[in-house]
Amino acid sequence: MIPDGRTPVFVVTGFLGSGKTTLLNRLIATPGFLDSLVVVNEFGEVPVDHHLLEASEEKTVALPNGCLCCHLRGDLEETLIGAAMRRRRGEIAGFDRVIVETSGLADPGPVAQTLYADRALERDFKLGPIVTVVDAADTGSRNLGLDIAKSQIVAADVVVLSKVDRATDLSTLTEQVKALNPHARRVPARFGDVDPALLEQSGTDRVFSPVAHHDRGINTFHLQFDQPPRKDLLERFLAVLVELRGADLLRVKGIVALEGGEHVAVQGVRHVFDRLRPIDNRPSTGLVFITQNMAERDVVALWQAMSSLKGAS
Amino acid sequence: MFLNMKLLSHHGLNGFGGMGEGMSMQLARDGRRILWLAHESAPKNFTAVDVSDPRAPKVVVQTDLPHAQMRSNSLEVAGDLMAVAYQVTKFGLKPAGFELFDVSVPEEPRSIAFFDASGPHSRGCHQLWFVDGKTVHMACADPEQKPRNPKDDQVYRIVDVSTPTKPRAVGRWHLPGTMEGDDAPPPERLPGKFDAGFRAHNTNVYPQRPDRCYLGYIDGGIMVIDISDQSRPKLVSRWTNSPPYNGFNHTVLPLFERGLIVVSDESVKDNAGDWPKLVWILDGRDERHLVSIGTLPMPPVDAFRSRGGRYGAHNLHENPPVPGAWKSENVVLGTFFNGGVRAYDISDPYSPREIAYFVPEAPEGSKIGAVQINDVFVDDRGVVFTVDRHNGGLYALEMKV
Repeated sequence: MIPDGRTPVFVVTGFLGSGKTTLLNRLIATPGFLDSLVVVNEFGEVPVDHHLLEASEEKTVALPNGCLCCHLRGDLEETLIGAAMRRRRGEIAGFDRVIVETSGLADPGPVAQTLYADRALERDFKLGPIVTVVDAADTGSRNLGLDIAKSQIVAADVVVLSKVDRATDLSTLTEQVKALNPHARRVPARFGDVDPALLEQSGTDRVFSPVAHHDRGINTFHLQFDQPPRKDLLERFLAVLVELRGADLLRVKGIVALEGGEHVAVQGVRHVFDRLRPIDNRPSTGLVFITQNMAERDVVALWQAMSSLKGAS
Repeated sequence: MFLNMKLLSHHGLNGFGGMGEGMSMQLARDGRRILWLAHESAPKNFTAVDVSDPRAPKVVVQTDLPHAQMRSNSLEVAGDLMAVAYQVTKFGLKPAGFELFDVSVPEEPRSIAFFDASGPHSRGCHQLWFVDGKTVHMACADPEQKPRNPKDDQVYRIVDVSTPTKPRAVGRWHLPGTMEGDDAPPPERLPGKFDAGFRAHNTNVYPQRPDRCYLGYIDGGIMVIDISDQSRPKLVSRWTNSPPYNGFNHTVLPLFERGLIVVSDESVKDNAGDWPKLVWILDGRDERHLVSIGTLPMPPVDAFRSRGGRYGAHNLHENPPVPGAWKSENVVLGTFFNGGVRAYDISDPYSPREIAYFVPEAPEGSKIGAVQINDVFVDDRGVVFTVDRHNGGLYALEMKV
């Protein structure tokens, strides 16, 4: 058994007005989520959202100076490291999870990158589910027509379809979301009413059922390995992919059985990948890719070329 | 204050919540899990708690000591037998030694034998280890010996209880130089305020190495003792950290599959007055040459020293080789007084990581304004049981790792 005592960081994202704060308010009022540290990211001069949150002040941290994806990665790192230090010193109460509510204009990818790339952070925290809220009552193209909204959906482990009581064409929206990200769990909600267990169970090492799909430059595909790969070869493969096309790797996830019997979790967002983490008792899933402007055949060809080279070490 | 640990229940033990360092689980014949607890001081001797449902613990029996100038402090259960240590506050008092009980009916513990270790230079037994139902290994004075310094009275003793009604002393070992008549010179003592004694504390013996005792020896460091001939224990190796540290080596926990040995100090001064008191990781692959390779990372002393009472290391969950006990070679749990109970991932022994902790609020009526978590036992369901030294009683915790 390899214990993992790190605190999961849930990322709640979604376009402006989609219902993130409503969801968050409902979530942190449920018994299982009471011990949550909430980090609110604002975009604009007046931090408003954190005042709407009903958590205690000491458990709510507002990052008022801008958008996570643009300027505030340093602030998030400082906030999380500081929270872990203060928790350990007994200066604040404990917390079981962190929930980061991103600005409506933020791509959640950088938050994941922050957690993977910062070794100090990585000692205490791990990426939890990315929850993207999509306004089901918005019948226009606001949600899905903008790149930032698409990025939020593509990155999601869970897509909460909010305001379904006012939705006029839920099935079309569902199909649009599915087209962008067939792997995410889709959860309809009214007034932020979501079963917290659905989020807890949608962690980043959740097993996917792979479905290939294409949508306006975004590709989703699944790389299976004929033989359990060598760990060093897999690491090199991912490194080459990142070097050549990191910007187009919107999300890479999976559990891979390695030569020798070890299973590892693979997690990556664009240029940054978590190290291959040993994982117990999970079936191998291969690697699921969500890419932009990058075809499955190119990735497969790269893997075949590298794996055919004998003696690599 | 918590990380990855949640309180399942808290029991004040009927107002007698000052607990020692004896925690042992009995899987009773009727299927119940009975947690036996030694009290830190008079008037109570031991308490048995039915923890079958850790969310609703129930006291099933609580017993009294015969007088107030003694304490039980330590106990162990093996099957239906329980051994309870008796230590007196002044040399020569009785009862000093240990008592054996039949606990087949937990509500009615029945005394079946007493091992007398009283004498003019004896404070009796401070701690004992009893896991196989046949042998008691203990830190106890030997009336046949006279220590050169009264603080050095308790030695390592082996008692055969295979016939429970007739305990029989079979062996003993002490640090050469500490007893009258020794050829060796007396050991150099630690500076006055830290001079706690050269005497035995924990005396762990495991089935993986029945020929070895892993012995904590207070200011004398720790020892690996060859007990292949129990009548003539022999020193294999010794590791010390004091000086420059401040003594009081307490528990020696061998992790056989890893080739590691975990050693805890005990903090015995309030306000971290003897800081640093740590948990050490030794490379024990060669038992003749023990090498310190790290310590468990504790929270900063400045954040805890003034919280009240002691802050620093003390007991460990000792992987007791008995049914019902949790065993791990990757996770070590320890108690740290006002620092609570803490769990560490030592899968990389060069870089141990804190993965869980729980620090209860100051118990109601606490005179020092802080909890003093004293001992820990983890059962094979993963439930963490821990006790307060002053008045907090028993806490049952879920560890979410």
